[in-house]
Amino acid sequence: MSRSITKGPFVHPSLAKKVAAMNKKGVKDPIQTWSRASVILPEFVGHTFNVHNGRTFLKVYVTEDMVGHRLGEFSPTRTFRGHSTKKVEEAAP
Amino acid sequence: MPRLLGVDIPNEKRIEIALQYIYGVGPAVAKKVLKELAINPGVHAKDLKDDEIANIATYLEKNFPVEGALRRLTMQNVNRLKEIYCYRGLRHRRGLPVRGQRTRSNSRTRKGPRKTVANKKILRK
Repeated sequence: MSRSITKGPFVHPSLAKKVAAMNKKGVKDPIQTWSRASVILPEFVGHTFNVHNGRTFLKVYVTEDMVGHRLGEFSPTRTFRGHSTKKVEEAAP
Repeated sequence: MPRLLGVDIPNEKRIEIALQYIYGVGPAVAKKVLKELAINPGVHAKDLKDDEIANIATYLEKNFPVEGALRRLTMQNVNRLKEIYCYRGLRHRRGLPVRGQRTRSNSRTRKGPRKTVANKKILRK
């Protein structure tokens, strides 16, 4: 079931506050955050977030296309990215 | 045989069914088109009049993304996901299931034919 429209998109309150404050001042410092579930709002465009992936913070520069996605989608949590192409049989004596 | 929207040549079936040979037209769209244009869905494709065929073609092109336009739209959406480096885009790049399905077994549609690793059993001994 999708989220009720009346509630609006979910953004962690403290994160929204930080971005709002920065937009007011006109600065765009990277924001460190654990809030992977926060939806990227149009106001976030041009900001950089350091999004936690469980181990480190990955830099995410927000572009216009990313609006509506969640921050966590841009910070992969798993490292396995394919087998080595070398054949295993030679290693077995 | 009548030609509709370029390549598609629906055959000697009822028009309701024949329209579904067009990419982007399924049961729902086919029925809707015929209803809007007041064409009997039971008529065979070969019995359609020329102006009726022309009407169907223009109506479809105007109201639904169909054939090339639809394929382009889908490609654009996928490419957007790929370009912004989001999780779904990465799955598309790797040719793995995008919507959280398991990959330990199955997912053959996305992964393609099995790539068996030889001598796996001997290694374990």
